[in-house]
Amino acid sequence: MIEPAVVFEDVGYAYQEAPREAVSDINLRIGAGEWVGVTGPTNAGKSTLCLLAMGLAPHFFGGKLRGKVTVLGTESRAIKVIERSTDVGLLFQNPFTQISGARERVHEEVAFGPECHGVAPAEIEARVGEAMDLVGISALAARHPLDLSGGQLQRLALASLLAMRPKVLLLDEPTSQLDPAGTAAIFEVLSGLHQSGITIVMVEHRLETLCELCPRIVAMVTGRILADGAPQEVFNREVVQERVGLPVYTRLARSAALPAPRPVRLSESAKAFRTPIA
Amino acid sequence: MPDISLEKVLFSYPGGVEVYPEPGLTLALESGVTALVGENGAGKTTLTKLLIGLLRPRSGDINVAGLDVSKTTVAAMAKTVGYTFQNPDDQLFERTVKAEVTFGPRVLKRPPADVERGVAAAIKACGLAGKEDVHPHDLGLSERKWVAIASALASEPSVVVLDEPTLGQDYPSRQRLRELVMRLGSEGKIVLVVTHDMDFVGEACPTTVVLSHGAVRYAGPTSNAFGDRALLKEAGIEPPHVTELAQAIGLRQCVNEAEFLATWRR
Repeated sequence: MIEPAVVFEDVGYAYQEAPREAVSDINLRIGAGEWVGVTGPTNAGKSTLCLLAMGLAPHFFGGKLRGKVTVLGTESRAIKVIERSTDVGLLFQNPFTQISGARERVHEEVAFGPECHGVAPAEIEARVGEAMDLVGISALAARHPLDLSGGQLQRLALASLLAMRPKVLLLDEPTSQLDPAGTAAIFEVLSGLHQSGITIVMVEHRLETLCELCPRIVAMVTGRILADGAPQEVFNREVVQERVGLPVYTRLARSAALPAPRPVRLSESAKAFRTPIA
Repeated sequence: MPDISLEKVLFSYPGGVEVYPEPGLTLALESGVTALVGENGAGKTTLTKLLIGLLRPRSGDINVAGLDVSKTTVAAMAKTVGYTFQNPDDQLFERTVKAEVTFGPRVLKRPPADVERGVAAAIKACGLAGKEDVHPHDLGLSERKWVAIASALASEPSVVVLDEPTLGQDYPSRQRLRELVMRLGSEGKIVLVVTHDMDFVGEACPTTVVLSHGAVRYAGPTSNAFGDRALLKEAGIEPPHVTELAQAIGLRQCVNEAEFLATWRR
């Protein structure tokens, strides 16, 4: 068994003054080094899952937490978010909410995290250079964060997290603001981080992308986990087809009445559509 | 006469470079649904802001549904153009969904009966029925996006501009969006959809404009745009998944699922 990085045990969570829980009965064990894709319709609880793993729920948002969320061996109730942020980084859905607003240059913004944690200046400089380079914003180093486009801002937000050298990355739709080229570049960065052993939990609506990248997918609906497993297993389940939707390839195979298990990726799909039906 | 026309439009942000290279951007759009695609920084959002007068060109002419934009205030443009920002939080400020959606037609001083009809239809079309009294900021990002779209539709504009409407939307939501823009298009409205979501373009937008580095690289039927590999490469666009699949198995060009299935069955 790989040592778990993120563990949810019977977790339920309700935001302050919310009439009901945003997530309920969450049991999830994510091993160190796994790359897990999280998907599901609006209000499935995907972003809440990220906030819980980061500890922002309940430390920042208040509300009521049941059960235990343990990340890198420490339960969320027992650790402040600022301490958590040494090892765990959360990329917000809207990159605008991520930036500090306190820095006037892109490179200063990337340095903000390590500075807050008292990292030595020479080390900060090295980390900032590396992080900006990795996400491709070195040329923007002297710009004001608020002058950046949505896509550039999203890259800046990711660079700010990487400068902390996190062990666990929680990414809430990390490429929502990016064009295809930018998206491909960021996913390449994430693939590299995954290979270097970083644990990644990634919320994503584009099911085709999830199936290509993530060996494991967690499908959520109305605050609960509906399915958890390999992409082909998850998207061949009837209940997932009905309530979460399908990758284009799987939906086409279904419409064409191809036999199960239906393909979830382009390569498998091409093979399935080429094979004459007996 | 086209419904939207831009003629040699030049624009630059303060201290920035030219968004549209000399001799400027020239483009004509007819009614119906048009996708505006291209890489980050290609000038897509800038174009939409020029159409409503939120940004003013240094030179060139812009006409939208019979209005000379240079002679029209932003407030007056709002009577004709329903606009949604990429980020709904740039747009929402009222305390309930209903108030937010009502704001547009109310300040445009539409007759009460028209306001009521427009608001009710917009709320229904955007799947917000039952959420009228919710505070927009208690909704998730994708639902806030729908509130922004409903707000743009409530004044029953003849031109609708949607900036990245599918961002963060789940499958049912994307289907609703597809039905909505196709209906608006069939009603003879001018619908301009700025997007990186090529699956959506193939499903919902019969016409596509490709911008690259501020220049129009293509304007015409969507199916031809996705058939031109050199164009896609140059503009940094990936074709719809279904187009890739059709190519992989040697079927003729398809841009949406219905086309694919019909071609494959043949």
